[in-house]
Amino acid sequence: MTTSISSQFNSNIIHFPKDGEPFLAVNEWQVWNGEQDEGGIPDLEHGAHKVLVPFHWWITHHKNADIIERANRGEIGVWFAADEDILKHAGLIEAGKKVWPLVAAHFPIFRDGRSFSTAALLRDRLDWQSEIRAIGDVLIDQLLQSARVGFDSFELRPDQNLELGLNQFDLFTVTTQNSWRGKRSLLNTEYV
Amino acid sequence: MYKYDAIDKTLIDERVAQFRNQVERRLNGTLAEEEFCPLRLQNGLYHQRHAYMLRVAIPYGLLSTKQLRTLALIAEKYDRNYGHFTTRQNIQYNWVNLEETPDILAELAKVEMHAIQTSGNCIRNITSDAFAGVAADEYVDPRPVCELLRQWSTLHPEFAHLPRKFKFAINGAKEDRTVLLCHDVGIELHKNGTGQLFANLYAGGGMGRTPILGSLIKQDLPWQLLPSYLTALLRVYNRFGRRDNIYKARIKILVKALGPEEFARQVEGEWTHIANGDDNFTQAEWDRVAKHFTKPAYKTLHSLTTEQLIASTPQADQVAFARWHERNVRAHQVPGYASVILSLKHHGIAPGDASTAQMHAIANLADQFSFGELRVTHEQNLVLADVEQTQLFALWEEAKKQKIALPNIGLLTDIIACPGGDFCSLANAKSLPIAKAIQERFDDLDYLHDLGDISLNISGCINSCGHHHVGNIGVLGVDKDGEEWYQITLGGEQGNDAAIGKVIGPSFYADEIPNVMSSIIDTYVGQRSEDESFIETYRRLGMTPFKDAAYKNARAKATQQDTAEALLS
Repeated sequence: MTTSISSQFNSNIIHFPKDGEPFLAVNEWQVWNGEQDEGGIPDLEHGAHKVLVPFHWWITHHKNADIIERANRGEIGVWFAADEDILKHAGLIEAGKKVWPLVAAHFPIFRDGRSFSTAALLRDRLDWQSEIRAIGDVLIDQLLQSARVGFDSFELRPDQNLELGLNQFDLFTVTTQNSWRGKRSLLNTEYV
Repeated sequence: MYKYDAIDKTLIDERVAQFRNQVERRLNGTLAEEEFCPLRLQNGLYHQRHAYMLRVAIPYGLLSTKQLRTLALIAEKYDRNYGHFTTRQNIQYNWVNLEETPDILAELAKVEMHAIQTSGNCIRNITSDAFAGVAADEYVDPRPVCELLRQWSTLHPEFAHLPRKFKFAINGAKEDRTVLLCHDVGIELHKNGTGQLFANLYAGGGMGRTPILGSLIKQDLPWQLLPSYLTALLRVYNRFGRRDNIYKARIKILVKALGPEEFARQVEGEWTHIANGDDNFTQAEWDRVAKHFTKPAYKTLHSLTTEQLIASTPQADQVAFARWHERNVRAHQVPGYASVILSLKHHGIAPGDASTAQMHAIANLADQFSFGELRVTHEQNLVLADVEQTQLFALWEEAKKQKIALPNIGLLTDIIACPGGDFCSLANAKSLPIAKAIQERFDDLDYLHDLGDISLNISGCINSCGHHHVGNIGVLGVDKDGEEWYQITLGGEQGNDAAIGKVIGPSFYADEIPNVMSSIIDTYVGQRSEDESFIETYRRLGMTPFKDAAYKNARAKATQQDTAEALLS
């Protein structure tokens, strides 16, 4: 039996590498909400074979042999719930750097900004270098903020316009505070 | 005052373009109202009872005459020929159209103004002392720090969707004119013996449903480290502030739940990791900003005593001028100069309102008498900060013609009031008719002067935009079974002795409020010792005599309600 592992799946994602341009890509990662847990990750839908599991589920299952095997194949990443205190699990996240190709942080609703701090801490404090994906209620008008705090891929809510989404990242050519993507603008010859 | 550089200018132009696109998507239906709402709020746009309201930031209260003329133009072109100055150094337009707001923001951008983060769950417009840079009791001019933090907080990505709104106030004077302790973060600036600038930070103050005064959580923070420390503080709040209940989402609830010491410890723990990062301000940044806050070209003048000044005016005007001078003129740092408060509390006009014509006239006065600049006060009045003492009489004559010379600053009718139920969809009750009724009841200037300093603050609902908690007398509109009632608090105070007022008992009907005020005031007059202010008398006597008088003389309706409530409880 194929079990639904996420109420929402967008077959395309936006990638926006730190020093690159934003582009669309096929989404290979299913977000599993951790429900229907009968001891293992359920079968996958949509042809995707990689799964983002809830971080709290990883905490209790990452020593299972089948999970280790899948993880070693690069098929498991974790996602952090908005209320996850990641700093309490720095050791586990450090170990995860070797096995998770990416991590994600969840937006239960677009106007909940906790995952902005999660991404900032992953980058600044825990030195997470690989991809951080925004998942959940991800809307185009929050892309720019997310991109600045540390996210570099975005699974938009399926009703969002991807083309418009791609245009959100260069709306501002200046900034007045540092972020993951760069230092605040300073006056130079371009602006004098 | 601060002049935008190319970065500031580019940023607000790009912000207007971003919002224009969002409004277009809202209008063509591709952006749902629920998802547009936080976007418009962070551009100052509320949807109110009758129309959209646009709240424009006047950062730390500083305004040029060019900017004021643009505010007047917007009132004329896009609104109904007036604007409302608020307690947090903003101006609000009550009748704008959604379609036109991008154009209004573009007009504002031309004069280096914006509505960014004047609402929404983000860092709001930073407020400060209306007398910054000129007050005789100032330790440190707070404006460079205000401007640096304005820039730092503008479109800060990590703190774009906090649990709730977040308000900064910054003070650098001996007297607190910013209601510092009622802010989410209050920053108190001071210098040490060698002239180095430090900040003390108070967190967790606020009004609303649960009024709390802020607690000192950090002492003697070097000014350069404000961005990293504030990042740590806001990060703790963003991560752990409550989001399950809008009434418990302000930082004050988190600080109270953890206790100020534990909150400070958590902030410190976070800060340790980032304290030495390059988020912090540099001397070059200070220099870039501070160069705009130099002193204007003051003349070398001699100070005049009040007696000399009054003696120099025509005999027939001396009594009235002296009264205005006593209430509406403040001491200045520079000999021969004074600061003047223009009263936006003319009796019968909504507190804080200024018409298009008044705004133009005030701009002319500021050009003529005060180096083309003015300030907005927390009490919803305007200030001409740099007036030659010898010009005060001429200014007074002109101000009278514009009905902005009422000598009632700090008196009972200098009422702080929110727009209330006439406009605001959050309000439970109207505030403006209450303000008007009180001003009509106490329309005798001689009597008002005899009463002396009394602050009267009116909020139309528990959101407390009229700051009723810190009024010596507070009036709060409440809804009971669809009817508008008013709860009275006594004993609140702003300033260095900030205090939260206490509710005297069951609420009153609107038409009882003037009588209730008279009872409270009569009690004061009857019981005061010589030279004792209202708040001093209240503190000496306690609430009981005021309460007894208020209920004794209120109409039967309140008594009936009292009985009903007693039966229910």
